[in-house]
Amino acid sequence: MAEEYLLQMSGICKSFAGVHALDHVNFHVRPGKVMCLAGENGCGKSTLVKIISGVYTRDEGKVVFEGNEITKITPAEATRLGIQVIYQDLSIFPNLTVMENLAINSEITDGRKIVNRKRWEETAKTALSKIDCKIDLYAKMGELSVADKQLVAICRALLFNAKLIIMDEPTTALTKREVEALFNTVRQLRDQGIAIMFISHKTEEIFEISDDVCIMRNGKNVFEGPTKDLTPRDFAYYMTGRELTDDHFIPKKISKEPVLKVEHLSAGRYYNDVSFELHKGEILGITGLLGSGRTELALSLFGLLKPTSGTINLRGRDVKIKSPMEAQKLKIGYVPEDRLTEGLCMAQSIADNIELASLKRISGNGFTLNHKKIFEDAATWVKKFSIATDDPHKYAQTLSGGNQQKIVLAKWLSNDLDVLILNGPTVGVDIGAKQDIHHLVHQLANDEGLAVIIISDDLSEVVENCSRVIVMKEGQIVGHLDADEVSEANILQIIH
Amino acid sequence: MNKAKMKRMTRRTEFYMTIVLILMIAIIGIVSGGNLFQASMIVTIFRAMVVDGMFALCSLLVMISGGFDLSFPAIAALAYSLSTTICVNNGWCETNPFMGFFLAVVIGAVLGMFNGWIIANFKLNTMIVTLGTQTLFTGVSMGLLQMKEITTTLPKSFNAVGVSYLFEVYNANGQRSTMTSTIILLIIMAAIVSFVLNKTMFGRSLYAIGGNEISAERAGYNVKRTKFILYTVVGALSGFVGMVRTCLAQQSIPKALVGKEMTIIPAVILGGASIFGGEGTVYGTMIAVGLITVVSNSMLLLGIGTQWQDFFNGLVILVGITVSAVQAKRQTKA
Repeated sequence: MAEEYLLQMSGICKSFAGVHALDHVNFHVRPGKVMCLAGENGCGKSTLVKIISGVYTRDEGKVVFEGNEITKITPAEATRLGIQVIYQDLSIFPNLTVMENLAINSEITDGRKIVNRKRWEETAKTALSKIDCKIDLYAKMGELSVADKQLVAICRALLFNAKLIIMDEPTTALTKREVEALFNTVRQLRDQGIAIMFISHKTEEIFEISDDVCIMRNGKNVFEGPTKDLTPRDFAYYMTGRELTDDHFIPKKISKEPVLKVEHLSAGRYYNDVSFELHKGEILGITGLLGSGRTELALSLFGLLKPTSGTINLRGRDVKIKSPMEAQKLKIGYVPEDRLTEGLCMAQSIADNIELASLKRISGNGFTLNHKKIFEDAATWVKKFSIATDDPHKYAQTLSGGNQQKIVLAKWLSNDLDVLILNGPTVGVDIGAKQDIHHLVHQLANDEGLAVIIISDDLSEVVENCSRVIVMKEGQIVGHLDADEVSEANILQIIH
Repeated sequence: MNKAKMKRMTRRTEFYMTIVLILMIAIIGIVSGGNLFQASMIVTIFRAMVVDGMFALCSLLVMISGGFDLSFPAIAALAYSLSTTICVNNGWCETNPFMGFFLAVVIGAVLGMFNGWIIANFKLNTMIVTLGTQTLFTGVSMGLLQMKEITTTLPKSFNAVGVSYLFEVYNANGQRSTMTSTIILLIIMAAIVSFVLNKTMFGRSLYAIGGNEISAERAGYNVKRTKFILYTVVGALSGFVGMVRTCLAQQSIPKALVGKEMTIIPAVILGGASIFGGEGTVYGTMIAVGLITVVSNSMLLLGIGTQWQDFFNGLVILVGITVSAVQAKRQTKA
């Protein structure tokens, strides 16, 4: 009988400078199955992957691959065994052609010195044919879409007779449709008998694609077994270590007069004739597919995209918002989709990031800054938002995605606001932090009477948090759902 | 030629540079009333291209790997000054220049190794390291070794290399000029560099490292070793080019190359090498060097004073770097 398990790992321990990154982790991969390794940021997932791929050496534990015990894994040995890792950044060369990207690894492994175009082309064609993928061999890698880059990376891995392919959070930068395509590829590979280890923290994906799940928390595995033995609720519990309660937003006090009134607003080809009202104390959801104009609308409200016609009325007064600075003066805040490039200075301290937007308020006289005051103010936000850091002096990049997002929120809220626009507030954030952020936003709306707009294509997020929802399609508002009509089914019906 | 290929070609910097060069030659040719096409002018331009072109090839290799070498003129200067001094003191190279070139190459390689050792081992920013070594090497030359100018006492074989020519040409008025035979060295070097870049794994590894160093490491390249070899080779080549310059100039001036990197590097960028690494071709580099040489050599023809040279060089630097950055941006967006 064939081995039941392709890879068996038991009692794996690894510590860095006395801190246990992995604490007796047990872990099994079955051949021809998709196994998901799940866990929140910093739970030890990537350490485990690095041990399997030979980048790190384990301190303790037993590894059995295809029935043979492996005492020491090196990167070369891992490749020889048929273990391939597709890293999150895909390890590609954007400046080279697809052909070179495909062939280069095996050329190096074969110890070639001279380039033979014909052989390279042959190798590349073989690689692409493994999953019937059609990509121009002579296109430059950097010009491909993320999904195509991923396919190339997968094909390259297949050249090494891979038996186990490890994918490190492969869906992070993909659109919904691309994720579907990727899953089809994954199923195709699985049916060819290749085991896939899929690293993710997204609940829906894990339930859709995996046969087995291993959930890790704080360096230990807390669940291991078939996916079908698990409910989404259990899953969330194992991931976070706490019961997550359904936390629907129920507005407590909605102002009679709208704080923001947008009428017949248009901006060229981006969106057309958009009208809506926003009251204090409510959370308005704006949803729609990518390119529906939802983001551009938000940019206009924050002074980053000039509307061509229509009016924006704030607190009963018509306003023209020409720059983010003016938007801030008008007490409008915007948290962008891509917090890494637009929202945060990664190489500055957490405290500085939080206070960036409110230096004027803190300064008092407008010229000099009191660093002690900055720090104290920042510390209160860190506490209020339970940002996971021991020292606000640390760089923002030391934090996980969810905590970074909290900083961006804190940055805006430390200014006194009336309207807060959140664009994809929990993209790439794990469940626990997601819940925290949602909870925070609810508090802001209910306790401080903030008017909030959440722009998101995560329907469960919209349904859970928004008291009213606007659906956009091709630059137009195509649907308007009131509190009692908001449901995923209703939104989907309008979008399609 | 199919459409996709056509599109790829027209997107390359080399394609535009070729057009710009042809246009430039046409415009200057017309404005100068055909003087640009005089036989003497043409051989002068080729002669001016020899040293700059070879330096540009050194610089190209480094830039493809994602680095900046500011120290190659200092390496060349120290190599030729020291080598020439040794030859003069020992009375070598009166008939055969081999020993002079050999010494310069060895000295250049040693200095390049020093660069490579620091850059590869300590993983430092190449621009900062070579800025430091540039000053250090000049300091060694001027302070420690007390290098002197050598003009009239230059070994005879060096003079012979400098004046050797492939063929003579005559202007309409009968004025005689010669095509320097060192142009052959430039052509050979360009051919070798092109072969290395395109046909060897070492060359492709430079592109790979310049494109994504971490990926290159994961793919199995020995990045450290590659960088060490690269800077050693570039040092050796710089020493060689320095000797060619000594022969052509008929003198060895220790400080003659100060600031040379500031005209060579922009030329390489203009030729399509990316300031972020991973891009660049021999062809583009040669076209760009040709363009700059044509422009700076025709200033007198056009009645523009040489004091304007810096102005045009500055302009070229800005245009080249802007184009390179804009292209890189476009690529990351796509």
